[in-house]
Amino acid sequence: MSVSRDDFSIAFRSALLQRGGAQKFSVLSLIFLALIIFFLDVYGVKFTKPVRSFLNDVVYRVTFLASTPTRFLPQVGKDISSFFNVKEENERLKLELEKYKSLELNVEFLTDENKNLQKILETEYFNKNLSNIVLAKVLVDKNSPFLKSIIINKGTRAGILKGMPVTKDNYLVGRVVETNYLSSRVLLLNDLNSRIPVTLNEGAQAILSGSGKNNPILEYLPEDYETIEDINVFASGKDGIFTSGTPIGITNIDGTVDLFIDPNQLSFVTVNLNVQNKGKL
Amino acid sequence: MVKSSFINKIFNAGPLILLYYLCISEVDTNLEKMFEIFTLNFQIILIYFWVIKRPDIMANGHIFLAGLINDVVMGFPLGISSLSYLIIIFVGTYVRNKSVNTTIASDWFTFFMAMIFSNILFFSLLNNFSDLSFTYSKIGYNMFFTLFMFPIFWLLFNIYHITFIGNRDA
Repeated sequence: MSVSRDDFSIAFRSALLQRGGAQKFSVLSLIFLALIIFFLDVYGVKFTKPVRSFLNDVVYRVTFLASTPTRFLPQVGKDISSFFNVKEENERLKLELEKYKSLELNVEFLTDENKNLQKILETEYFNKNLSNIVLAKVLVDKNSPFLKSIIINKGTRAGILKGMPVTKDNYLVGRVVETNYLSSRVLLLNDLNSRIPVTLNEGAQAILSGSGKNNPILEYLPEDYETIEDINVFASGKDGIFTSGTPIGITNIDGTVDLFIDPNQLSFVTVNLNVQNKGKL
Repeated sequence: MVKSSFINKIFNAGPLILLYYLCISEVDTNLEKMFEIFTLNFQIILIYFWVIKRPDIMANGHIFLAGLINDVVMGFPLGISSLSYLIIIFVGTYVRNKSVNTTIASDWFTFFMAMIFSNILFFSLLNNFSDLSFTYSKIGYNMFFTLFMFPIFWLLFNIYHITFIGNRDA
């Protein structure tokens, strides 16, 4: 009995303290080091923030470089197939151009009418000031089962703050949750931690919660509200962060929302620096 | 002779390069985009196999560093992946010290123990010290598929071990 206990303690101690050969550090010393780093990072001691920020910037750039071959190969395939479809695409684009030309006149008329109506209502006209919009490239889009996020190549240097809304083609895709000097992390709408106040085009208010899957879920809908398909979902702007009326997606019969922008297909996004209430960020 | 020694070094460094590459690049083994529930923690399979078979080519310091890089890329608190990988090393080294000869079945069972200890530490730290929330079903799927895929990767790594490194026990 005592022999087996001795065996256990020898093997246990050896596993923790063993060094020599290729092993320059014992497991125990590295566990202590990892715990120190972990608690310094979690409790946000003053000097760890800039260190972490610098480390993030460096690692994100290296990640972007290291991932280049994996981005390049699928792109080559796409380019080859699009080359063979040029003629067909040209015909299609000509038809679309004609359609949009006719729509443009209509849009101009509606924009003027909208401005005039807002003046009559004396509401604030949220001018989409382009100087307050930052275009950013997606550096890293690593899929994790526990965190749906992307890393963009603009940070505090470009004026990005934590909490700012991120859009693509004017559709909401998420918000900034971590900022570094040269990069930021964006939490996508389908992440489990994402909660956005939204309004449905019938006027009902709800919270759009990420589910960890591709389709977020509508929660806290009015009592007796029955979800039907194809209802547009917009950011309500009640939190003072997201611009009200930013389109998000359309509803499904089961209360989930089909996002207008596929969160797995992002390459460029825009960050809206012109948030309504910076004090809340 | 010099050339063959250089090539041997490259082959020996293969698992470590793969570990670093998986941690730092966009390449991941979470195939949720294709199969809804299929997620896999490939890094811990890689670490466990090589710690059991050839600890001299998987140095503790490198695994610790790879864990830190993984935390930065994934957005986890710094040091949490390193701790989880170190638990895997610890269990692997203990098993190696205690056993004379291992089989795929014994390695599979001990890997299960290592993964349990490692994930308990990882998720309890994540739950108590960070704002990240996660669902237990996802953890369950991740652990199940990691365990399920272990024998397949064990065989593949074993082929690599025998073919390119040589079946010399360290």
